[in-house]
Amino acid sequence: MIIDSNKIQKVIDDSPQDKKQLIMILQNIQLEFHYLPKESIGLVSEYLGMPQSTVYSAATFYKSFSLVPRGENIIKVCKGTACHIKGADLIIDQLYAGIGIKPGQTTKDMKYTIEVVNCVGACAMAPVMIVNDKYFGEVKCNRATKLVKKG
Amino acid sequence: MSDDSNNINLTIDGQQVSVPRGTTVLEAARSIRIDIPTFCWHPKLKPAGSCRICYVEIEKARTLMVSCATDVAPDMVVHTASEKVLQGRKAVLEFMLMNHPLDCPTCDKGGECDLQNLTFKHGVDDSRFDFKKYRHIRDKNSTFDDLRIGSEIIRNQNRCILCYKCVRANKDIFGEQDLGAYQRGNITEINTPPGEQVDSLYSGNLVEICPVGALTNTDWRYKIRVWNTQTVDSVCSYCADGCNLTLWKDKQKIYRATSRRNDNIDEGWICDVGRYGYQVPMAEDRLTTPLIKKGDSQVPATWEEALGLISEKFKKIKDERGGVCIGGLISPNLDSLSLHTFSKFFRMVLNSNNVDFRAGYKMLPEKADDLYSKLTSLPFKISDIEKSDLILVLDSDLTKEHPIVNLRVRKAVTQKNASLFALNPITTQTGGIATDEMVYNIGTLHALLNGLCISLIDQNLTQYENARDLKNKLSPNTIEEASRISGIDVARINSLAKAITEVKNISLIAGELLTSSINREQLSGAIINLCLLAGIFDKGQVGVLSQAANSKGAEKLAVMPHLSERSILKIKQIWDKYPDNDGLALDQMIRSSIKEELDSMFIIGSNLMLEYPDGAVVKEGLEKLDFLVVADICETETTQIADVVLPLSTWVEYDSSFVNLESVEQKFKAAIKPVGFSLPAYQIINKIAQGFKTPLFETIDELIPEIKTLLQPDDSQNSFENCAIEYIEEKQNPEFEIPLLITNELHHFGYFTEKSNSLSNFCSEAFLEISPGLAEKLDVKNGSIIRVESEVGKINLPVKISEYIDNDVVRAYRNFSASPVNILQMRKRNIDRVKLTVVEGT
Amino acid sequence: MEKKILTKYIDDPNQVNIDTYLSHGGYKAFEKALKEMKPSEVIEEVKKSGVRGRGGAGFPAGVKWGFIPKDNPKPRYLVCNGDESEPGTCKDRVLMESDPHGVVEGMAISSFAIGSHLAFIYIRGEFAYPARMMEKAVEEAYEKGYLGKNILGTGYDLDMIVHTGGGAYICGEESSQLNSIEGERGMSRMRPPFPAVAGLYACPTIVNNVETLAAVPFIINNGGDWYASMGTEKSKGTKLFSLSGHVKNPGHYELEMGTPLSVLINDLGGGMLDGHKLKAIIPGGSSTPMLLPDQIDVKLDYESLAEAGSMLGSGAVIVIDERTCMVWVAERLIHFYRHESCGKCTPCRDGTGWLEQLISRIERGEGQPGDIEKIESLCGNIMGRTVCPLGDAAVMPIESSIKLFRDEWEYHIQNKKCMVKSEFAFK
Repeated sequence: MIIDSNKIQKVIDDSPQDKKQLIMILQNIQLEFHYLPKESIGLVSEYLGMPQSTVYSAATFYKSFSLVPRGENIIKVCKGTACHIKGADLIIDQLYAGIGIKPGQTTKDMKYTIEVVNCVGACAMAPVMIVNDKYFGEVKCNRATKLVKKG
Repeated sequence: MSDDSNNINLTIDGQQVSVPRGTTVLEAARSIRIDIPTFCWHPKLKPAGSCRICYVEIEKARTLMVSCATDVAPDMVVHTASEKVLQGRKAVLEFMLMNHPLDCPTCDKGGECDLQNLTFKHGVDDSRFDFKKYRHIRDKNSTFDDLRIGSEIIRNQNRCILCYKCVRANKDIFGEQDLGAYQRGNITEINTPPGEQVDSLYSGNLVEICPVGALTNTDWRYKIRVWNTQTVDSVCSYCADGCNLTLWKDKQKIYRATSRRNDNIDEGWICDVGRYGYQVPMAEDRLTTPLIKKGDSQVPATWEEALGLISEKFKKIKDERGGVCIGGLISPNLDSLSLHTFSKFFRMVLNSNNVDFRAGYKMLPEKADDLYSKLTSLPFKISDIEKSDLILVLDSDLTKEHPIVNLRVRKAVTQKNASLFALNPITTQTGGIATDEMVYNIGTLHALLNGLCISLIDQNLTQYENARDLKNKLSPNTIEEASRISGIDVARINSLAKAITEVKNISLIAGELLTSSINREQLSGAIINLCLLAGIFDKGQVGVLSQAANSKGAEKLAVMPHLSERSILKIKQIWDKYPDNDGLALDQMIRSSIKEELDSMFIIGSNLMLEYPDGAVVKEGLEKLDFLVVADICETETTQIADVVLPLSTWVEYDSSFVNLESVEQKFKAAIKPVGFSLPAYQIINKIAQGFKTPLFETIDELIPEIKTLLQPDDSQNSFENCAIEYIEEKQNPEFEIPLLITNELHHFGYFTEKSNSLSNFCSEAFLEISPGLAEKLDVKNGSIIRVESEVGKINLPVKISEYIDNDVVRAYRNFSASPVNILQMRKRNIDRVKLTVVEGT
Repeated sequence: MEKKILTKYIDDPNQVNIDTYLSHGGYKAFEKALKEMKPSEVIEEVKKSGVRGRGGAGFPAGVKWGFIPKDNPKPRYLVCNGDESEPGTCKDRVLMESDPHGVVEGMAISSFAIGSHLAFIYIRGEFAYPARMMEKAVEEAYEKGYLGKNILGTGYDLDMIVHTGGGAYICGEESSQLNSIEGERGMSRMRPPFPAVAGLYACPTIVNNVETLAAVPFIINNGGDWYASMGTEKSKGTKLFSLSGHVKNPGHYELEMGTPLSVLINDLGGGMLDGHKLKAIIPGGSSTPMLLPDQIDVKLDYESLAEAGSMLGSGAVIVIDERTCMVWVAERLIHFYRHESCGKCTPCRDGTGWLEQLISRIERGEGQPGDIEKIESLCGNIMGRTVCPLGDAAVMPIESSIKLFRDEWEYHIQNKKCMVKSEFAFK
């Protein structure tokens, strides 16, 4: 996947030039490209006047960041304790049957990526699935694929 | 209870101990020789509490405590070897070993590995971990998971116990950012960010403090097992800081150098030049026999032949024309015995004062008691830097000139909140942590210092009684004019003046850019004015830092033609006489040779052809000599034109001493025997003296008291008077307008560092450092070849674009024999200037 | 039954707007503090209320504020910890997204009390919606003059920054959170120094949980004595509980401290889902030791739960029914803690990895005799021996699971299969 560094630079330029905002800037880049293109490390480091090691360190420490390309739609299945005991695994199985990928994988057409996430603090509506930041609660496993495709 | 408020009494393993408040339990235990193991703890780093091996049991505490990060408290009762503690340590070791590859047989750390030693000590011989070990794979086809992360560093993440010492030291002590920890949890790895390398001047320390085999030196790995080496106490021979080294050797080979911590000087850190500099004596192409010029070539000869010829020639010149027709130059990288013997030979045997060690400087003073020498004789202590509230660095790229002084400055600033002001003609790495880094127009420091003096006077910030009188002696004599000339805003000058007067303790440090300037007298005078006005002589220290390992020794041992009355008295005291003639400084010797007033030179350990800052003049001077004797460790451009070449031993081959920039004499020991038929300089000199039937010593023990007398500090107080300082703009040829600085490259001090493979791996060729702005103007990229041309010479150099250079200055490096940049220099020019042309097709 | 104080207006969709918030008496407490009280009086009132840290540790908030050294000239900071990540916990989220001004006001009063002029709210990265609500609330508060320079003409200045995390459970731990705000890896720091002495940028910093700070306006409005009149002797006031797992009506409930757990599960939660039998209760978030069905009458307060062998923690009650395999639950938990270990200290970093492998093989039916003992021993080598509480959090549920359900663990090893899995609908 080739990403135009000018596009990354644009996202960066729209963010505040403040070292405290490092994580936010990385989030903004990821929002745009669904992952952190490798060029972004150097560009952010330059923009914030921070060493590359610090930026790369943060980008690999925080697990919401991906350094490999991800699909257009990101499906997160919560496996916090409450969701786990209420059938999160079944959602994962259903999604595999429906779109053919397992957690951590991306469909070949770059449309979907599935990730297992830890408790998202929506335990009362467990099991929870999040599609592009939209929450689906009390997901009936047989409807998981449908929900994903509907977005 | 505690006997006084600052000391705390506690009990460790039944022993009473009293330690200052703020001491950690670990330090308290070690103070009474109770050993607590550590991995992540380091005496110079803030505690991290990561490894957890230093558990102790403290009565009334709920859990085991880490002693490295627990401060002592009154009446604490500590157990360092209770069953619970031993169990805790074993558990930590078990965790550390669970994914550790246990590849000790092929690990270079074997024999000196903290993990190995502690595992051995605690008898952990079996693991309950029965899974496949996690492996950070570098190469699927190899069992070696080595990754090169620096020019000389290999990382094996599998062996890493994540104590983070390397990352912490790199950032907190060295201020480097090229190493980090990535990912997290049990897959954390230590690495450089993508596309970078660990190549700072301090990189070797990271390997040295690694407690396991995760970081290893390419220099040392797979060459020898540590238990097959012997250690020798040595001292670094590369700069004047005087770091203490341990050399690791077996038979005639040295395998590595490590720090031998001395808290007064190095605090356990050494730079890579010191670390890898031992490779120079190990060079393949050492001179091993004397050579005598026969026709166009130099042919091997015996010592007898060579010494016979030298004695005969020197005697002849002495008898016919006088000993003053022989000039002597000895390198300040040589030891005290040699420097002293050299001076003794010239003064006692040849009855001449023509001795010098200052090969690299233009326009040396032609009389004694110059202001510069007065300043350099002031006492200065590296460890006192951290007592300063304010540090003023003038004309020194400190990282390159004095890497370890630089670390102390860094410590004062980053750990002790000192403020730093750096005044240089270029941006420096040290300046990066400065409160204000003033990059003044090159050649205008004395104008800037005048401005500072005027600011102190005008703002009524001085108690100096002759302030008004002083002001009249300054030109420029308004702050506005000083600001215009130097290019530093009036406001910045004023705020520096204010800062200087507001603090209690100042370290003023000046360096090589001052020493090498032909304006050094004016600059020294300007510093004296500043010190008088700001009271710095009374509230701090002034260090005009000498450069080479024994420059300070050479000054004190009188290896100079013009000596103060005090030195002359001392010499008369030890030798009963002193030559009654005016000696020649090095550059006078060269000019005298051109004028055919000097017939011969005896040069030891110096490649004058490259070192003298005027390539054309030195060539002419040396070629006109009737008889040139050069002793050195390898062939050089200077040995090539010598009539007799003598093989010189290096400092690792005999016992002697260096005197560091603080005037501290430090002894070092021989690690190996002299290579080939080489000899230490003091022996060569003595053998020549024997040819005159006047040996300088029977045994070197006779020299020790003489050296001791000369090295004795002067008790007499220096008194300083204010000086008239006038800035005069240097005339320049408009065709050559770009100022050229010539300094040492980061990883090379002195010529022979090219012989160190490790140092050459960092940098192996000369280059021209230019600013991004100039690069854009010239339309060149990194690596483009540029023709650098001055009024007297030209040379082609590859370009390196650097953030440390301002628009109107370029910098070249003098350390590479393939690129003799001194041909661009002129001995009378303060600032050498060049024009640049891009060589097409690059 | 429920005692709605913090959550009184939570169901009003307009409560997120400052006008509605004001019409419900919002920012009155802040105004009162600014105009009628000295910072020390605010601290005194909060001390009197006895409100304790709602993030899990339960340390009295007023006492914590008092730890700021009086003679330190450096700036002071307040950090509101909204990194709610403890599995099972969804109370701060509700406050931030449904009553964000309550949080802003609580932060503002607390900042005034400790002499801070810059406050941060650290919200976990996954909470995009709550973060938006908080940002909006902060903006509105600036517009109405409750934040910014010279607030309400009193000369007090306060800025507030919404900071989002990047996906790291450890950042809920206060020292890691400070590193994260500084743009560093969220690794825990050694204590001492405590944040109150040297926290954010080495300046005195108070870190409090969202729920703790949200209680402050009520304490100021009604007095510390009023707050202290609720709850038990040592656990004062009300607490939000997140009820999840196999119950009919999962959700969040605000209860007076000391309310019996059975009230929450049976009366409010409607009892067990699909009529299954109760097997275990995790009372305070996934890191707290489990309770057995016969402990259902335990009172929900710090002391009673401690006496019962567990902890109040974050108040996240997860109900587990008879069909659930406890090894399977433990496996997921240890996977979580291993994944979230920051990697700073050895026992947590390596120990959680080892435990994960052991528990996982037992779950798969590949357990070896002696594995349970090994797990217990490893837990002992982690418990209390790490830099931050993550190590303890990782091993407490494991230890408790083995203690309470040892037969299940042994069955797994001996029979290479699960005691209950066959009839379990969720696996």
